[in-house]
Amino acid sequence: MTPLLILCPMMILAALGAVWLARPVHAALFLALALALTAVVYLAVGADFIGLVQFMVYVGAVAVLIVFSLLITRPGDEAEELLRRPRSWVTGLACTLPVFAVLVYAASRHTCLPDAAPENPSLSVESFGRVLFTTHAPAVLAVGVLLTAVMIGAALFAKEAHASSHTEPTRKPNTPGDS
Amino acid sequence: MSGFDASHSAAVLWAPECWPRLPQRLVEMLLHFCGAPDWLVTIGGLVAAAGTVVGVFLTGFALLSLIERKTLARIQNRIGPNRAGWFGILQPVADGIKMLTKEDIVPTKAEWFLHLLAPILIVVPSILALGVLPYGREWVPVPLDLGLLFFFAVGTLTELAVFMAGWASGSKFPMLGAMRAISQMVSYELPLMLSALGVIMVSGTLSLPGIVAQQSGFLLGFIPAWNVFTPWGLSAGLVFYIASIAEANRCPFDLPEGESEIVAGHMTEYSGFKYALFFMGEYLGLFAISGLGITLFLGGWQAPFPGLGSVPSWIWFFSKLVVVIFSFLWIRGTFPRVRIDQLMRFAWLCLIPMALLTIPAAGIWHFAGGGLIGWAVTVPMLLVPWVVLTIHYNKRLAPATRTYTFADS
Repeated sequence: MTPLLILCPMMILAALGAVWLARPVHAALFLALALALTAVVYLAVGADFIGLVQFMVYVGAVAVLIVFSLLITRPGDEAEELLRRPRSWVTGLACTLPVFAVLVYAASRHTCLPDAAPENPSLSVESFGRVLFTTHAPAVLAVGVLLTAVMIGAALFAKEAHASSHTEPTRKPNTPGDS
Repeated sequence: MSGFDASHSAAVLWAPECWPRLPQRLVEMLLHFCGAPDWLVTIGGLVAAAGTVVGVFLTGFALLSLIERKTLARIQNRIGPNRAGWFGILQPVADGIKMLTKEDIVPTKAEWFLHLLAPILIVVPSILALGVLPYGREWVPVPLDLGLLFFFAVGTLTELAVFMAGWASGSKFPMLGAMRAISQMVSYELPLMLSALGVIMVSGTLSLPGIVAQQSGFLLGFIPAWNVFTPWGLSAGLVFYIASIAEANRCPFDLPEGESEIVAGHMTEYSGFKYALFFMGEYLGLFAISGLGITLFLGGWQAPFPGLGSVPSWIWFFSKLVVVIFSFLWIRGTFPRVRIDQLMRFAWLCLIPMALLTIPAAGIWHFAGGGLIGWAVTVPMLLVPWVVLTIHYNKRLAPATRTYTFADS
């Protein structure tokens, strides 16, 4: 319990930083911090595997992709961003309130937290794989379809960009005696 | 890991196999006999164990920086550092003192906090990763069940640190360097992890000591049963080796800090000890990734020949480490730097397909139980794509012949 009491306020602060800060890079780094703290929460309650996977996927891949896209796209200046705040408040609340309501409902069904974490079963890779590809096979397949669609989309975008860069007027190939 | 274990007799304590654990045992004994509570004994022992690893590898870092300069100098027909001490042996000390006494410059346009955080964050994951490797039969600093996953998970932190360094410097070269570094690391992390998957499948565990234990024994009485001596293991090991060079930002994949192009990449705006921290992180990362490669494919601390059981196992680990690191130095001295398009194409069109192909090969090998059937199926399955890809890569995918606009004669 005690680690959670320390970690959860830190997580909330980091998440607030992620939505509050005006500079996109700071917000992204705070998001990475919040995701990393989520991984630490998993580790603290004894879910080692999911904690490490959370760290690897969300901090190592998602957060890195976000900061990388920030590097490439160079978002506009922050003053303009601040002017748009009131409208983003509305959209933000519209998105988060239903999620929050669902979470509150789910939490209210379990009136109190269990006193002690259940005994951590020794998780072998084999048993994990067995559960993943039998009980949760539909979910794995759905994620696979989703990722394939994303990959095809990315390939199409890349091809379009590639094609448009080729249609630009190219420099005339030099002929001997030109220079 | 649970406090002081009084059952360890003096004979076990002083056996050469346990020498690297002496600091931990001594601290535990000392605290135990001073009447410290159990948790303090455990913590003290862990601190001593971590100190051993950090001490060994920081010494290794200092030595490697000298050996690298000497080796590169020899390859380039020079002598190398030879002024400080006998054969330049004190050069790392001189470098360290120079780095410590230099002025610490923070550019005015830099974000000082992220600028400070980046060099720290780049050293931490390397040290964490070094903590889970099995160095010897008796020497595993932190024996985690999910050691391999932990290794990769903390390794991803390096990318964020490089981004912080590049962005917080508030300058163009670091930004370009960070972009190059992140795209390179993301691309080469995939083959790195995919090539480790085959090992996980065959050994059925994510624990690094378990993976080493699975590679014990000898085939036909003299060939060590290391993963690299199987067809899929050789293929995966090759992919892992190349990808680890790229992950460590070593030549020929050192574009993020290509001196002739973007000064020093993400480290451009750093000076003094922060600059040294980047180098420390890089070399410790090199040790960690080489150590992981040795654990996964080269049998970890297993002896290379039968009948050498009396030699302490950690000597074998460090001998293999020296060989692997030397091969990295040799490659650095031999190959020119690749271009960014070649780098990306190589990762996505050659390494990732080959890494993916080693996974079914490892599965077939696992269910065929090795033997002749395993060899007969997996060798052509892997050899043909390697040959075809190599030929294809050399012919079709090679960049077009350059035309020199102003330099034609």
